[in-house]
Amino acid sequence: MKLNKDVLKKLISKIPHTHEGEIGCDECFDELHTFAEMELEGKSPEKAMPLIREHLDNCGECRQEYQALLDAMKVLS
Amino acid sequence: MLNWFKKGRDKSIKYQTNNEWILALKPPPEEQAVHQLRVHLIRGLKASLYKYVDRELDEFVEDIAQDAVLKILDKYDTFRGDSKFTTWAMKIAVREGYSELRKKRYKDISLEQYSNYDPDDREAIEIEHEQAGPDRITHESMMVQKIMKMMEEELTDKQQKVIEHLMIDQIPMTVVAEMMNSNRNAIYKLVHDARMKLKNRLQVEGIDPEEILNTM
Repeated sequence: MKLNKDVLKKLISKIPHTHEGEIGCDECFDELHTFAEMELEGKSPEKAMPLIREHLDNCGECRQEYQALLDAMKVLS
Repeated sequence: MLNWFKKGRDKSIKYQTNNEWILALKPPPEEQAVHQLRVHLIRGLKASLYKYVDRELDEFVEDIAQDAVLKILDKYDTFRGDSKFTTWAMKIAVREGYSELRKKRYKDISLEQYSNYDPDDREAIEIEHEQAGPDRITHESMMVQKIMKMMEEELTDKQQKVIEHLMIDQIPMTVVAEMMNSNRNAIYKLVHDARMKLKNRLQVEGIDPEEILNTM
């Protein structure tokens, strides 16, 4: 397998937080609009939807799109 | 084309509530509602994409907004009403925009170009270790070899390949998914399953991930 030390470290560092109940990109996407509105209203969505927060922390692409959605909403509000 | 639309009730109407949007976008959609939605998406997309699009931002954003409008019209009835309709629509447009950007960046590249596996890479890790002291080299090298062996034993060929493309080649998940005729969710799940397998194996071997990180 083609790997290097940094990649191994990155992978291993995710292992303690890995669990069966994690959600995927589709489940995250399903809730992203409500999560974003809650955040902009200062309603702590990470408490109401901790699995979404966890997925956003784990998935760079969903995180990037979430940030973009917030940017768009700020301009449109 | 014009027959595809029903006419708006009033030229100056502004769609604001979720109910107004849903009624207006119901087939055949009101031309004015579609126009207002597209303008709204374009404004939002410009704000969220300008950092990543060097040239022809207007043209790119208009194309994305057009594609997003078609997707929204196709599934407007799946909107659950748990946010503003426009937030839900913007979410779809943003994903469309970022997916397109990622694919565009890799459009002339195939995964095969990244698959020139060089068996000397494993040696490269050891060479890198020569910078450290001899005791640390040995301990670290042994740990690296052990983890790599575990990965080769536990993970499927597909899992190994996907991890290489994502983490070594730095190809976005959206692009890897497209190139493998899969989807992003499936690729994410594949990597999650790989992490679970490694976690279980480490538990069986009685190895604490923190200990590995401290060694490396």
